[in-house]
Amino acid sequence: MSKPQQRDLFPGALEMMILRTLKRRPLHGYALVQHIKRTSDDLLQIEEGSLYPALQRLLKAELVKAEWGVSSTNRRVRTYELTKAGAKHLEQEVSRFERMLDGITRVLAADES
Amino acid sequence: MTWLTQLFSRRRLYDELSEEIQQHLEEKIAGLVAEGMSRPDATRAARREFGNVSLTEEESREVWQWPSLESFLADIRFGARTLRKSLAFTAIAVFTLALGIGANTAIFSLVNGILLIPLPYPHPERLVSVTGAYPQGALVAMREQVRTMDVGAYAEGHDFNLSGQGEPVRLTATLVSAELFSVLKAQPELGRVFERGEDLPGKDNYVILSHALWRQHFGGDATLIGRSIELEGVSREVVGVMPADFHFPSTKTQIWIPLHNDPRSIPTYWAGDFMPVIGRLRPEATLQQAHAEIRLFQAHVGALFPWPMPASWNADVSVVPLQDGMVADVRVRLLLLLAAVGMVLLIACTNVANLTLSRAATREKEFALRAAMGAGRRRITRQLLTESVLLASLGGLLGLAFAIEGLALLKTLLPADTPQLTAAHMDWRVLAFTGGLAILTGLLVGLAPALQISHGALVDSLKSGGRGAAVSISHRLRSGLVVGEIALAVLLVIAAGLMIRSFWALSHVNPGFRPEHILTARITPNESFCHDTERCLTFYQTVLDKVQSLPGVKGAAFVNTLPLGGRVSKRSLDVENHVDAPGESAPLFWLNVVTPGYFRVMGIPVLSGRAFEDSDVSGSPVAVVTAETARRFWPDQSAIGKHIRLLDDKDWRTIVGVISDVRAYDLQHNAPKWIDGSAYVPYNPLATLENKRVPSEMTIAIRSTAEGSEVAALLRESVAALNHEAPVSEVQAMDAVVSGAVSAPAATTSLFVAFASLALVLGIIGIYGVLSYLVAQRTREIGLRVALGAQRPDVLYLVMKEGAKFSLAGIALGLASAVVVTRLMASELYAVSPLDPFTYLAVAMVMAAVAFLACYVPTRRAMRVDPVIALRYE
Repeated sequence: MSKPQQRDLFPGALEMMILRTLKRRPLHGYALVQHIKRTSDDLLQIEEGSLYPALQRLLKAELVKAEWGVSSTNRRVRTYELTKAGAKHLEQEVSRFERMLDGITRVLAADES
Repeated sequence: MTWLTQLFSRRRLYDELSEEIQQHLEEKIAGLVAEGMSRPDATRAARREFGNVSLTEEESREVWQWPSLESFLADIRFGARTLRKSLAFTAIAVFTLALGIGANTAIFSLVNGILLIPLPYPHPERLVSVTGAYPQGALVAMREQVRTMDVGAYAEGHDFNLSGQGEPVRLTATLVSAELFSVLKAQPELGRVFERGEDLPGKDNYVILSHALWRQHFGGDATLIGRSIELEGVSREVVGVMPADFHFPSTKTQIWIPLHNDPRSIPTYWAGDFMPVIGRLRPEATLQQAHAEIRLFQAHVGALFPWPMPASWNADVSVVPLQDGMVADVRVRLLLLLAAVGMVLLIACTNVANLTLSRAATREKEFALRAAMGAGRRRITRQLLTESVLLASLGGLLGLAFAIEGLALLKTLLPADTPQLTAAHMDWRVLAFTGGLAILTGLLVGLAPALQISHGALVDSLKSGGRGAAVSISHRLRSGLVVGEIALAVLLVIAAGLMIRSFWALSHVNPGFRPEHILTARITPNESFCHDTERCLTFYQTVLDKVQSLPGVKGAAFVNTLPLGGRVSKRSLDVENHVDAPGESAPLFWLNVVTPGYFRVMGIPVLSGRAFEDSDVSGSPVAVVTAETARRFWPDQSAIGKHIRLLDDKDWRTIVGVISDVRAYDLQHNAPKWIDGSAYVPYNPLATLENKRVPSEMTIAIRSTAEGSEVAALLRESVAALNHEAPVSEVQAMDAVVSGAVSAPAATTSLFVAFASLALVLGIIGIYGVLSYLVAQRTREIGLRVALGAQRPDVLYLVMKEGAKFSLAGIALGLASAVVVTRLMASELYAVSPLDPFTYLAVAMVMAAVAFLACYVPTRRAMRVDPVIALRYE
């Protein structure tokens, strides 16, 4: 089974960012990816396409739900929204990520001294 | 969401996904155009930033799939399309694999039926076989003493006259102890089986019929149960009819008759038939316990005999599962055949793998393209394996059709008394075997190209236009495959060669008599008819006189046991001045009772002394022995004038002649191991068998120039006129008797030859295919060489060198493996060593010649290469 190409990201990072972004407000795919790119100041090299398999996984796990509608630019788009389970999952993931980051940072800092 | 709604909403999901992605791209393009980019530039930029659209879609879809199953189905659809596109390849590959799989399936259904399917009786795992052989007295003791199992015994080789209903017929009977059917737990179709005690004198006038006999001879009349039929002039009540699928011990048996366990008739009771014993373990008892108990029983049963029993008798008796006991003889032969077809399949696999490799080489660009489109290496490998498994499955289906035909053929080819032969048929086990084999075959076949893909630099191949790095790997792989294929073919052909040599030796054995122009027939008045010895002898003499006066008849004689006729007549003898080894009883002889003309009619040469003369019938008692017997009992001196005596006789017999050895038991042995010698005595009132009566079943041998069927008809007429209750049976030419004796090895040999020929042909196709491919690949190079001044012999050398390299390697490997492997078939070979140098040399030379021919055709094509065309072609 071919895994989505994470490139510079670790597994689950993209999903976490999607959930975090959707927590603020529901968005459709294009807007979602633009937001992530803009917010990260284009530091993260994200292939726009890789968003979609991630969204499908979240949909399947029922962490997000989707609805077709019309966007501000008058396009037929599918808007994604965080579910309760999604919000809870996000919390867990973020705290897990922070612990991990903390650990990594300490190791890196120790290396320098 | 349940899987069902998932499955149905799938199409909509996918459409929505495509639409969403499309919208994404358009929104992006629109945004970029708004920033001032030209539309084409914007499209390019949007696509670049988005990444691989089709891959994204595929990955998104995969989220919803049972990934393995669905992409597997897609692979199958794609594979089927690819195979349809190259029909010639598909047809050849499927046919080749079908031959291999079909042959394997056919042989496996035999193995399955004979070795694997449990015996068709309730709880077959509780059935055991006692490997020794016991006379009635010992059986009776055993069934009274043994606690771990219920035992039953049977004796084959007894025939009974059925009379009182038109022309008398001879029926093949099996004598059984009363418990045999209940030990097997076999249920009758009609009536009942024998009950305990029904094998004792006075209570044993019963008979059970086989289904076939009941149908054919009694028209399936159900009212037959309880009525009596005339067997050997004695009426026996028909108590039951066995079902159509009951064959014990083999399909030959037409009637079952209770043993006549009469302790008063000592010779029959203690020295009659030495019978195989079967048993059913009692609840709680184990095979080990039964074995231990039988060993214990064996240790003291000898003391019950009215004479000392040799210590060697049944010394190695053991208790084994009944199935193992019954098929011990055919096991090796079957497993050899299975190994042989296995090799044929391997060769077929190799051939198809090679074909697939050539195809994979031409498909390199396709694979490179798919890799560039984002298909992973594993994905492509899986695709290739799916294709080859699909190919093999088609081969398996066709193979199954071949196998059904093949099995029918095999059943007619194998000797009819092969145990459980009728049990061999297509069942779920065979189907599972074929299915498994097809998948395995597919994986084997697909392995080579898949290996090549995972090595090959796919992108390189796209750049270089088809002659990429993969070519050299593929070349190595193919050469390896062809070497292996030739080696296997050599191995199989050597095995077949050894079988042929052995068979040839066996069928050219000097049997000690001249079988040509001899007609034989068994003439058997009822046993009671011969209780009056004079009447019996007169009857046979009258038949003989009548036959000898028939036109074309040059001579005729009677014998009680025809050579190779499957019967042994044993009789203990005293040999004058012979000291029995301690613990041994009198030597056991094969006693042939003959009329005086026998040696002349059969063409058995008299080595010293003389043959019987008519005066010997009434004169002083005489005997003739075979050369082997004479050597054994009177080494370094003449046997003529020495004396032997039938046990319990008063008068010694003078040996008047020594005849050459006769292969009476089978073509490899004059007599069974447990026989100490062979003696001939003239047919007169003194020529008694173990039951102290003269033989009442005699076989006539008629040497004649007339047509066999005419002689047989006249013989029947003559016999019927004399005794209307004496059937004439087993009418056959002596030639046929001899060839019947080689029918089992003949079947094995012809199967081996068939498999080896198949292997040879496939091997040749293999060499030819690889070399042709090589020449095609190197056309340009050859053209260049020719353009640079290479002569035809140079080209010839160039190509032939390649062919010779792997041919010779294959032959060498094959010879080496044959040295190791053929040892396993030593037990099936007669008068030829598994390392027979002649066979090895001949096979090596034939293979070399055949490989040379297979190389020559592509070589000629290479020599005709026109440099101009070859170079322009690129």
